[in-house]
Amino acid sequence: MGYTMKTEGLDDLSKMLNQLGEQAGKVAAVGLYDGAGVMADEIKRQAKSIKADKFHYAVFPPNVTRNPSVEEKEAVTKASAGIAKFDKNGGAVETSVGYSNSGYWNIRGKMKPVPLIANSINSGTSFMKRQPFFRKAVTKGTPKATNAIVRTAEAKIEEIINQSGG
Amino acid sequence: MPTEYTTLVSALADTGYPCAEYGWKTRPDGTYLVVGLDYEAGRLEGDGAKADRAFSVSVDAFFRKIADRAAVAGKVESVLASCLGDSWELNSIQYEQETGLFHIEWTGEVCGTITAPPEPVPDTEPEATEDGDA
Repeated sequence: MGYTMKTEGLDDLSKMLNQLGEQAGKVAAVGLYDGAGVMADEIKRQAKSIKADKFHYAVFPPNVTRNPSVEEKEAVTKASAGIAKFDKNGGAVETSVGYSNSGYWNIRGKMKPVPLIANSINSGTSFMKRQPFFRKAVTKGTPKATNAIVRTAEAKIEEIINQSGG
Repeated sequence: MPTEYTTLVSALADTGYPCAEYGWKTRPDGTYLVVGLDYEAGRLEGDGAKADRAFSVSVDAFFRKIADRAAVAGKVESVLASCLGDSWELNSIQYEQETGLFHIEWTGEVCGTITAPPEPVPDTEPEATEDGDA
Protein backbone atom coordinates (compact mmCIF):
# COMPACT_ATOMS: atom_id res chain seq x y z
CA MET A 1 0.00 0.00 0.00
CA GLY A 2 1.37 3.36 -0.90
CA TYR A 3 0.44 6.98 -1.29
CA THR A 4 1.52 9.23 -4.07
CA MET A 5 1.90 12.91 -3.27
CA LYS A 6 2.50 15.57 -5.88
CA THR A 7 3.57 19.13 -5.18
CA GLU A 8 3.69 21.79 -7.80
CA GLY A 9 5.50 25.07 -7.85
CA LEU A 10 8.41 24.09 -5.56
CA ASP A 11 10.89 25.04 -8.26
CA ASP A 12 9.38 28.51 -8.48
CA LEU A 13 9.44 28.89 -4.71
CA SER A 14 13.08 27.85 -4.39
CA LYS A 15 14.01 30.18 -7.25
CA MET A 16 12.20 33.04 -5.53
CA LEU A 17 13.80 32.31 -2.15
CA ASN A 18 17.22 32.15 -3.77
CA GLN A 19 16.65 35.49 -5.39
CA LEU A 20 15.52 36.97 -2.06
CA GLY A 21 18.61 35.57 -0.33
CA GLU A 22 20.89 37.11 -2.91
CA GLN A 23 19.24 40.49 -2.52
CA ALA A 24 18.95 40.45 1.32
CA GLY A 25 21.73 43.00 1.73
CA LYS A 26 20.08 45.31 -0.79
CA VAL A 27 16.70 45.03 0.96
CA ALA A 28 18.32 45.81 4.32
CA ALA A 29 20.18 48.79 2.86
CA VAL A 30 17.05 50.29 1.27
CA GLY A 31 15.17 49.91 4.56
CA LEU A 32 18.00 51.27 6.65
CA TYR A 33 18.37 54.32 4.43
CA ASP A 34 14.74 55.26 5.12
CA GLY A 35 15.15 54.55 8.84
CA ALA A 36 18.28 56.71 9.04
CA GLY A 37 16.40 59.53 7.31
CA VAL A 38 13.59 59.32 9.86
CA MET A 39 16.14 59.45 12.69
CA ALA A 40 17.92 62.48 11.16
CA ASP A 41 14.55 64.27 10.84
CA GLU A 42 13.73 63.49 14.47
CA ILE A 43 17.09 64.95 15.60
CA LYS A 44 16.31 68.14 13.65
CA ARG A 45 12.83 68.29 15.14
CA GLN A 46 14.13 67.95 18.70
CA ALA A 47 16.88 70.51 18.02
CA LYS A 48 14.20 73.05 17.13
CA SER A 49 12.72 72.73 20.63
CA ILE A 50 15.99 73.81 22.32
CA LYS A 51 15.44 76.78 24.58
CA ALA A 52 17.90 79.52 23.62
CA ASP A 53 18.67 82.94 25.12
CA LYS A 54 19.69 86.13 23.40
CA PHE A 55 22.50 87.87 25.31
CA HIS A 56 25.87 89.53 24.97
CA TYR A 57 28.69 87.23 26.03
CA ALA A 58 30.84 90.17 27.16
CA VAL A 59 28.43 91.36 29.83
CA PHE A 60 27.58 87.88 31.04
CA PRO A 61 28.55 87.59 34.71
CA PRO A 62 30.96 84.79 35.67
CA ASN A 63 29.72 81.74 37.60
CA VAL A 64 26.24 82.05 36.12
CA THR A 65 24.70 79.15 34.25
CA ARG A 66 22.94 80.07 31.02
CA ASN A 67 20.90 78.52 28.24
CA PRO A 68 22.47 78.03 24.81
CA SER A 69 22.81 81.21 22.78
CA VAL A 70 20.81 81.81 19.61
CA GLU A 71 23.93 81.19 17.47
CA GLU A 72 24.59 77.88 19.21
CA LYS A 73 21.02 76.76 18.59
CA GLU A 74 21.32 77.81 14.94
CA ALA A 75 24.41 75.61 14.59
CA VAL A 76 22.53 72.43 15.53
CA THR A 77 19.28 73.30 13.72
CA LYS A 78 20.80 74.54 10.45
CA ALA A 79 23.92 72.37 10.13
CA SER A 80 23.17 69.07 8.43
CA ALA A 81 22.65 65.96 10.54
CA GLY A 82 24.29 63.48 8.22
CA ILE A 83 24.03 59.77 7.49
CA ALA A 84 27.34 57.88 7.43
CA LYS A 85 28.49 55.57 4.64
CA PHE A 86 26.79 52.17 4.88
CA ASP A 87 28.92 49.40 6.30
CA LYS A 88 27.80 46.14 4.69
CA ASN A 89 28.70 42.91 6.39
CA GLY A 90 26.96 40.02 4.64
CA GLY A 91 23.24 40.44 5.26
CA ALA A 92 23.78 43.05 7.99
CA VAL A 93 24.06 46.74 7.18
CA GLU A 94 25.15 49.41 9.64
CA THR A 95 25.22 53.17 9.57
CA SER A 96 25.26 56.07 11.98
CA VAL A 97 23.36 59.34 12.04
CA GLY A 98 24.70 62.47 13.64
CA TYR A 99 26.75 65.64 13.45
CA SER A 100 30.15 63.91 13.02
CA ASN A 101 31.02 65.61 9.73
CA SER A 102 28.76 68.65 9.97
CA GLY A 103 31.62 71.13 9.71
CA TYR A 104 32.07 74.35 11.63
CA TRP A 105 29.79 77.17 12.77
CA ASN A 106 30.65 80.76 13.56
CA ILE A 107 30.30 81.40 17.31
CA ARG A 108 31.53 84.77 18.58
CA GLY A 109 33.61 85.26 15.43
CA LYS A 110 35.38 81.91 15.80
CA MET A 111 34.66 78.76 13.85
CA LYS A 112 33.66 76.00 16.27
CA PRO A 113 32.97 72.35 15.29
CA VAL A 114 29.24 71.60 15.20
CA PRO A 115 29.58 68.19 16.98
CA LEU A 116 31.22 69.99 19.92
CA ILE A 117 28.38 72.53 20.12
CA ALA A 118 25.78 69.76 19.88
CA ASN A 119 27.54 67.84 22.65
CA SER A 120 27.68 70.92 24.92
CA ILE A 121 23.92 71.45 24.57
CA ASN A 122 23.11 67.75 24.90
CA SER A 123 25.28 67.02 27.97
CA GLY A 124 25.35 70.49 29.47
CA THR A 125 28.49 72.18 30.75
CA SER A 126 29.34 74.02 33.94
CA PHE A 127 28.12 77.24 32.29
CA MET A 128 25.31 75.85 30.10
CA LYS A 129 22.15 74.07 31.19
CA ARG A 130 21.74 70.59 29.78
CA GLN A 131 19.05 70.05 27.15
CA PRO A 132 19.39 66.43 26.05
CA PHE A 133 17.79 66.88 22.62
CA PHE A 134 19.94 64.21 20.97
CA ARG A 135 19.26 61.47 23.52
CA LYS A 136 15.58 62.38 23.43
CA ALA A 137 15.55 62.17 19.63
CA VAL A 138 17.14 58.72 19.73
CA THR A 139 14.57 57.49 22.27
CA LYS A 140 11.59 58.97 20.45
CA GLY A 141 12.91 58.22 16.95
CA THR A 142 13.79 54.53 17.43
CA PRO A 143 10.21 53.15 17.08
CA LYS A 144 9.52 55.48 14.14
CA ALA A 145 12.77 54.47 12.41
CA THR A 146 12.09 50.78 13.04
CA ASN A 147 8.62 51.12 11.49
CA ALA A 148 10.07 52.92 8.46
CA ILE A 149 12.73 50.21 7.98
CA VAL A 150 10.17 47.39 8.20
CA ARG A 151 7.71 49.16 5.88
CA THR A 152 10.30 49.88 3.18
CA ALA A 153 11.91 46.45 3.44
CA GLU A 154 8.52 44.73 3.10
CA ALA A 155 7.70 46.80 0.02
CA LYS A 156 11.06 45.91 -1.49
CA ILE A 157 10.60 42.19 -0.76
CA GLU A 158 7.19 42.29 -2.42
CA GLU A 159 8.73 43.97 -5.44
CA ILE A 160 11.37 41.23 -5.74
CA ILE A 161 8.73 38.49 -5.41
CA ASN A 162 6.61 40.09 -8.12
CA GLN A 163 9.63 40.44 -10.40
CA SER A 164 10.54 36.77 -10.04
CA GLY A 165 6.99 35.90 -11.09
CA GLY A 166 5.90 34.50 -7.74
CA MET B 1 7.40 62.68 41.36
CA PRO B 2 8.71 59.12 40.99
CA THR B 3 9.75 57.83 44.41
CA GLU B 4 13.06 56.51 43.07
CA TYR B 5 13.85 60.02 41.84
CA THR B 6 13.05 61.77 45.12
CA THR B 7 15.15 59.25 47.06
CA LEU B 8 17.96 59.75 44.53
CA VAL B 9 17.89 63.55 45.02
CA SER B 10 17.96 63.29 48.81
CA ALA B 11 20.68 60.60 48.72
CA LEU B 12 22.84 62.79 46.43
CA ALA B 13 22.39 65.71 48.83
CA ASP B 14 23.64 63.43 51.63
CA THR B 15 26.96 62.81 49.81
CA GLY B 16 28.24 66.12 51.16
CA TYR B 17 28.64 67.77 47.75
CA PRO B 18 26.28 70.66 46.94
CA CYS B 19 23.53 69.28 44.71
CA ALA B 20 20.88 71.19 42.76
CA GLU B 21 18.00 70.07 40.59
CA TYR B 22 18.09 71.25 36.95
CA GLY B 23 21.34 73.21 37.29
CA TRP B 24 22.67 76.06 39.35
CA LYS B 25 21.81 79.66 38.63
CA THR B 26 25.08 80.72 40.25
CA ARG B 27 27.41 77.74 40.36
CA PRO B 28 29.37 77.00 43.55
CA ASP B 29 33.15 76.71 43.77
CA GLY B 30 34.70 73.27 44.00
CA THR B 31 32.93 69.99 43.45
CA TYR B 32 29.19 70.09 42.83
CA LEU B 33 26.38 67.95 41.45
CA VAL B 34 23.39 68.52 39.18
CA VAL B 35 20.43 66.15 38.92
CA GLY B 36 17.29 66.29 36.81
CA LEU B 37 14.41 64.43 35.20
CA ASP B 38 14.77 64.85 31.44
CA TYR B 39 11.92 63.24 29.50
CA GLU B 40 9.60 60.26 29.35
CA ALA B 41 11.74 57.41 28.09
CA GLY B 42 9.14 54.67 27.86
CA ARG B 43 5.65 53.61 28.83
CA LEU B 44 3.44 50.60 29.25
CA GLU B 45 0.02 51.23 27.78
CA GLY B 46 -3.19 49.34 28.02
CA ASP B 47 -6.92 50.03 27.91
CA GLY B 48 -6.26 53.56 26.70
CA ALA B 49 -4.24 54.45 29.78
CA LYS B 50 -0.62 54.53 30.84
CA ALA B 51 -0.11 51.70 33.29
CA ASP B 52 3.54 52.46 33.99
CA ARG B 53 6.01 55.11 32.89
CA ALA B 54 9.78 55.38 32.80
CA PHE B 55 11.59 58.72 32.98
CA SER B 56 15.12 59.49 31.93
CA VAL B 57 17.18 60.93 34.76
CA SER B 58 20.62 62.47 34.57
CA VAL B 59 23.29 63.20 37.16
CA ASP B 60 26.28 65.46 36.45
CA ALA B 61 29.33 65.93 38.63
CA PHE B 62 31.75 68.83 38.16
CA PHE B 63 35.14 68.95 39.88
CA ARG B 64 38.42 70.75 39.39
CA LYS B 65 41.16 68.29 40.40
CA ILE B 66 41.71 64.99 38.64
CA ALA B 67 42.70 63.54 42.02
CA ASP B 68 39.08 64.00 43.15
CA ARG B 69 37.76 61.86 40.33
CA ALA B 70 37.80 58.51 42.14
CA ALA B 71 36.18 59.93 45.28
CA VAL B 72 33.41 61.82 43.45
CA ALA B 73 32.63 59.02 40.99
CA GLY B 74 32.68 56.42 43.76
CA LYS B 75 30.23 58.33 45.93
CA VAL B 76 27.81 59.12 43.09
CA GLU B 77 27.91 55.61 41.67
CA SER B 78 27.24 53.98 45.04
CA VAL B 79 24.19 56.29 45.41
CA LEU B 80 23.03 55.41 41.88
CA ALA B 81 23.47 51.70 42.56
CA SER B 82 21.47 51.86 45.78
CA CYS B 83 18.64 54.04 44.35
CA LEU B 84 18.32 52.84 40.74
CA GLY B 85 19.62 49.27 40.91
CA ASP B 86 21.30 48.62 37.58
CA SER B 87 19.23 50.95 35.37
CA TRP B 88 21.96 53.59 35.00
CA GLU B 89 25.17 54.08 33.06
CA LEU B 90 28.12 56.42 32.85
CA ASN B 91 27.44 58.41 29.70
CA SER B 92 30.55 60.56 29.29
CA ILE B 93 33.63 62.03 30.92
CA GLN B 94 34.52 65.46 29.62
CA TYR B 95 37.04 68.22 30.30
CA GLU B 96 36.15 71.86 29.83
CA GLN B 97 39.16 73.80 28.65
CA GLU B 98 37.57 77.21 29.27
CA THR B 99 36.78 76.59 32.93
CA GLY B 100 39.27 73.82 33.71
CA LEU B 101 36.53 71.63 35.16
CA PHE B 102 36.04 67.90 34.75
CA HIS B 103 32.48 66.79 34.01
CA ILE B 104 31.18 63.24 34.49
CA GLU B 105 27.69 62.49 33.25
CA TRP B 106 25.50 59.57 34.29
CA THR B 107 22.11 58.74 32.85
CA GLY B 108 19.49 56.35 34.14
CA GLU B 109 15.82 55.59 34.18
CA VAL B 110 13.29 55.70 36.99
CA CYS B 111 9.82 54.27 37.13
CA GLY B 112 6.76 56.04 38.43
CA THR B 113 4.33 58.86 37.87
CA ILE B 114 5.11 62.54 37.54
CA THR B 115 2.09 63.65 39.54
CA ALA B 116 1.49 62.75 43.14
CA PRO B 117 -0.67 59.66 43.49
CA PRO B 118 -4.24 60.42 44.49
CA GLU B 119 -5.12 60.25 48.15
CA PRO B 120 -6.57 56.87 49.02
CA VAL B 121 -10.28 57.16 49.59
CA PRO B 122 -11.18 55.57 52.91
CA ASP B 123 -13.63 52.76 52.56
CA THR B 124 -16.80 53.93 54.19
CA GLU B 125 -19.61 51.60 54.59
CA PRO B 126 -22.95 53.08 53.80
CA GLU B 127 -24.72 53.84 56.97
CA ALA B 128 -27.39 51.37 57.70
CA THR B 129 -30.70 53.06 57.77
CA GLU B 130 -32.86 51.63 60.37
CA ASP B 131 -36.45 51.76 59.68
CA GLY B 132 -38.25 52.17 62.83
CA ASP B 133 -39.42 48.79 63.77
CA ALA B 134 -42.37 48.87 65.87
